Amino acid sequence: MTNIAVLTAYVIVLSLYVNLGIALYGIFARPSLVKKLIAITILSDTANAFAVLVGYRWPRNALPKPPVIPELPVTRRVLEEYTSSAVDPLPQALVLTAIVIGLAITLFIAFIIIQYYRLYGTVDVRKVRRI
Amino acid sequence: MIVVLEVFTLALLTLFALTSVVAAYLAIRERDLVRAVVFSAIQSSMYALIYYVLMAPDIVLVYIPVSVGLIPAVLLFVIKKTERYEGE
Amino acid sequence: MVTKIDVFVAISIAIFVLSLAYITSLGGLGPLPPVDVRDIAYQYLNLTYNPWRRFLTSFALESVTAIIWDFRGLDTLYETAVFYGAIIASIALYRGVKITHSRGGTGLSPIAKTVTRLSFVLIPTVAASVALHGHLTPGGGFQAGSIATVVIVLAIIVFSRYFLPGHGLSKERALLLRSIGLLGVGLTSIGLLLISFLLGVNAYIFQNQAKLDAPLSYPSLVDDYTLGGSLLFFNLSEFIAVAFGFMIVFLLLSVSEEDVREVVTRD
Repeated sequence: MTNIAVLTAYVIVLSLYVNLGIALYGIFARPSLVKKLIAITILSDTANAFAVLVGYRWPRNALPKPPVIPELPVTRRVLEEYTSSAVDPLPQALVLTAIVIGLAITLFIAFIIIQYYRLYGTVDVRKVRRI
Repeated sequence: MIVVLEVFTLALLTLFALTSVVAAYLAIRERDLVRAVVFSAIQSSMYALIYYVLMAPDIVLVYIPVSVGLIPAVLLFVIKKTERYEGE
Repeated sequence: MVTKIDVFVAISIAIFVLSLAYITSLGGLGPLPPVDVRDIAYQYLNLTYNPWRRFLTSFALESVTAIIWDFRGLDTLYETAVFYGAIIASIALYRGVKITHSRGGTGLSPIAKTVTRLSFVLIPTVAASVALHGHLTPGGGFQAGSIATVVIVLAIIVFSRYFLPGHGLSKERALLLRSIGLLGVGLTSIGLLLISFLLGVNAYIFQNQAKLDAPLSYPSLVDDYTLGGSLLFFNLSEFIAVAFGFMIVFLLLSVSEEDVREVVTRD
């Protein structure tokens, strides 16, 4: 592998770290609860992207393949080719359920924000502190 | 040939990752929450492309409806029922 | 307006990001991207469809679905429980609120309605295809449920919030259909166990293919078509559970504020 490839891989990882930092800033420092919810979705998406990135691979003398067996019947040659070039399926399986559960949790937080607005008449945490 | 493809893949990933950083920054900076939701959707679609390049078609299938379609819909419902502008 | 707290938060997050980057530059994530997968990933890939190790394989063509519903099925069962709990909590916030069935709303223009009517056929077809081929191609129950939810949100936005209840898909019926989906997940996970009680042999929960000491298995092949054993049933049940679970929540989200405010202030 060339040096440029290693450097670009670090650029990708670093930009995901920066996204993590931006999302944390949104959660800690922005006053609106809706903005905090947007920041939480960015944070969880970035964590999921990390998990998938860690499961990626670049096999020797071949191209990486998605974890799906491409042909039937499955012979020993097909299976060997598959195991030597497919990417890691485990992070993908975990992230897949995490995204759907994350949507359900996001919906629940959205309901809580609406309820908050009904009770306090604002979604700005600074104003609520003054009340 | 394989080296060329590898550099191409990494270049695509870098492009998508940097675009997602810009979109996330704009989404957090923006005071109009509807525009912030749109920027967040742009960031999500960049992540969908990243997943596609990282050989995860399953996640792309679930991520595009959820993060580009449903979460902005939820947030727009919430913004309609509460406040549109952040701050002051 | 920049306060002291803003500066403090910004500096600490910058330190956090820089330290993460430093750890990565020291090799904290290993070589990027790696050449080989980990041993456990190799085992999962090797056992997805492996006729030479009949007692360990799952006879599906797709590793992700095989992991979700066979190798790590209990994980997914508990995640489905979390999903169920989040939706129950959302419903509990809206207790006592009546969803009116009157046809008051008008929705968007006729052009938008006509285009959306086309998608009422197309999107559920795609979703059903994704669910039914979940063990052969990328896809599965979670994906299909999310895709089908898009058409529900379209119906609520383009027509009106009275459209779905007016056409027989009320909140109560969606709750019933979602319970049927969850019941399907539960029954499929203990199906072989129930049969084994009748036959007097050994079996496990979340068993898909026959194990060394448990001879029963779900059908893996029907006339040249790969079924993937229990994965097909799991995908279908999860499709129904996810789609109708989200439907309930979006129906609740679209209730008008006046109706809810009355109930909330009454308490």
